[in-house]
Amino acid sequence: MPDHKEEKIRVYRNPAKNEEYFKNRVGMGTSYDVGVRKLTILDKEIQLYYLNGLCDTAYIIHLMRELVAINNRKEDPDELVDIVENRLLNAQVEKVKTLDETTDQVLSGLVAVIVEGAGFAFIIDVRSYPGRNPEEPDTEKVVRGARDGFVENIVVNTALLRRRIRDERLRVKMTKVGERSKTDLSICYIEDIADPDLVEIVEKEIASIDVDGLTMADKTVEEFIVNQSYNPFPLVRYTERPDVAANHVLEGHVIIIVDTSPSVIITPTTLFHHVQHAEEYRQAPSVGTFLRWVRFFGILASTLFLPIWFLFVLQPDLLPDNMKFIGLNKDTHIPIILQIFLADLGIEFLRMAAIHTPTALSTAMGLIAAVLIGQIAIEVGLFSPEVILYVSLAAIGTFTTPSYELSLANKMSRLVLMILVALFHIKGLVIGFTVLIIAMASIKSLQTPYLWPLIPFNGKALWQVLVRTAKPGAKVRPSIVHPKNRLRQPTNS
Amino acid sequence: MMTSEKDTEQNEELNEKQKPPVSMAGRVAATGFCGGVLWSFVAYIAYLFHFSEISPNMILQPFVLGEWKKHGLGTVISIILIGVISIGAAFLYFLLLKRLKTMWPGILYGLVLWLLVFFVFNPIFPDVRTVTELTSDTIITTICIYLLYGLFVGYSISFEYNELNSEKLARALGMHRE
Repeated sequence: MPDHKEEKIRVYRNPAKNEEYFKNRVGMGTSYDVGVRKLTILDKEIQLYYLNGLCDTAYIIHLMRELVAINNRKEDPDELVDIVENRLLNAQVEKVKTLDETTDQVLSGLVAVIVEGAGFAFIIDVRSYPGRNPEEPDTEKVVRGARDGFVENIVVNTALLRRRIRDERLRVKMTKVGERSKTDLSICYIEDIADPDLVEIVEKEIASIDVDGLTMADKTVEEFIVNQSYNPFPLVRYTERPDVAANHVLEGHVIIIVDTSPSVIITPTTLFHHVQHAEEYRQAPSVGTFLRWVRFFGILASTLFLPIWFLFVLQPDLLPDNMKFIGLNKDTHIPIILQIFLADLGIEFLRMAAIHTPTALSTAMGLIAAVLIGQIAIEVGLFSPEVILYVSLAAIGTFTTPSYELSLANKMSRLVLMILVALFHIKGLVIGFTVLIIAMASIKSLQTPYLWPLIPFNGKALWQVLVRTAKPGAKVRPSIVHPKNRLRQPTNS
Repeated sequence: MMTSEKDTEQNEELNEKQKPPVSMAGRVAATGFCGGVLWSFVAYIAYLFHFSEISPNMILQPFVLGEWKKHGLGTVISIILIGVISIGAAFLYFLLLKRLKTMWPGILYGLVLWLLVFFVFNPIFPDVRTVTELTSDTIITTICIYLLYGLFVGYSISFEYNELNSEKLARALGMHRE
């Protein structure tokens, strides 16, 4: 905003005016969390502005002890500013000229020390944000492997990544986004691998984000970057696992870390990034492949099985002779399409309820759900057993989808296909499926075709998707990220 | 790069770095073959579940080959045969339309192929009835499969072609090194 830049006020030399500014602009005195501590050292006033709650009091006391100790020695009052700078015992001390920036920093949890007559402020990083320690992410559990996960603190998240990639060329660029929230956001990539154009696009998109606050952190950023609008399919991959993030950085992807969110954004992504799981890479390649195929089957089950079965119920003559048993064995009172939708809705109820219910109550809820709704609904003739079977199969398929976002999108496309089948039978299913594929193929996320490597076809890359290949054999990085350096192992080192 | 000390392993990697992994023609052929096999397999499944009356093994009908052509082996051979023929279709697209960047010409290409097969080549296949005699389900299913096939082949080829001509791939393959 241009009008904000014009009224930048330099730090006053008069301490009373600085205090005035903080009272009027930052609401010191009204907001209880902004405070100032005044010290008189060598007959000059030194002000220390802080925000309680975001900084570590022990460090502040330590800083003040050092400052007060200046009084004990007979120092030259004219050199006070230099003496103070020397006495601020901290690794990160910065000089800031304007009060706006001082305010920003104080509100981020740093402390500002303003010496009378200096005309600038020392900013000392004593931040200590409330937060939890890294723990295993609930949504991406593995049997073996690292149990640490990203947390809500961007500094810790960067550190977790840096621990895995000690490369000197790893870049973590920090910016602030949000006119009011001023949320920290960092773009993370390896300089000589990541495609510079991609980095540029991401940076440009992030710089053009114009929003007051990023309370939903990475999700808000995603919506600005990839222009999702009403397309339900996830266009970026989230992960809460630092090892997954590090692996993608090494492949040439660009990672976006947003403060206050425990998940990071991996760009660019295709559909097939959403069907892989860290677990596959923790087992032998053959076992990993097996797991992956089972998972593919689950994902297919969640999307296509139910509409196809429903079609066979409507037109039993479509089935080959040896599969005639599929379909309904008994007549029911309610139309099948209604049964399926009711059962699906019931499962959605359960899923939502399970998220919000405290653990202590969820056992009881599960019991009610399984016994009462499932069993009794069949007995009173509300549902036919086959409906329950296939709807449950589809539901379990949704749960095997590693990406929660993709599973929801699949569920929605399944329901749309069902409606089409109900209306137009075979034609509905076939045309619906075709339109779905064409629509997905037309999606581009950060200039990356969504169905790559299937459409456009890339045999080698598709092989990597279908089969979990062994690490020693994986010599090249995926071409879709346009890596600057195609080989994983440099030849000249 | 240190070219002075070449042991065999390094040599291999160097070669890999300097030439594109597969030439464009190879990629077109692979795309055509895989596209043909994939979508004729889908067509076979559609035939199995009576979505369409036409099985991929209609391709064997012009030849008098005995009973086996109607069973499993016949289907496998016809799927592979369609894959081979599809290489030709892919090269045709490559020659005519590779410069177009979007995927829509591919879909259109699929539609044109369908018209060609079902109207022009129809007399070659004695068992296949003319379009007017086919059920509407068959027509819709086969059109959709041809559209998806066209999308697959067309989009892949134009994407590959534009990628290969882009500086990015050249850089990725290590051709322009600073």
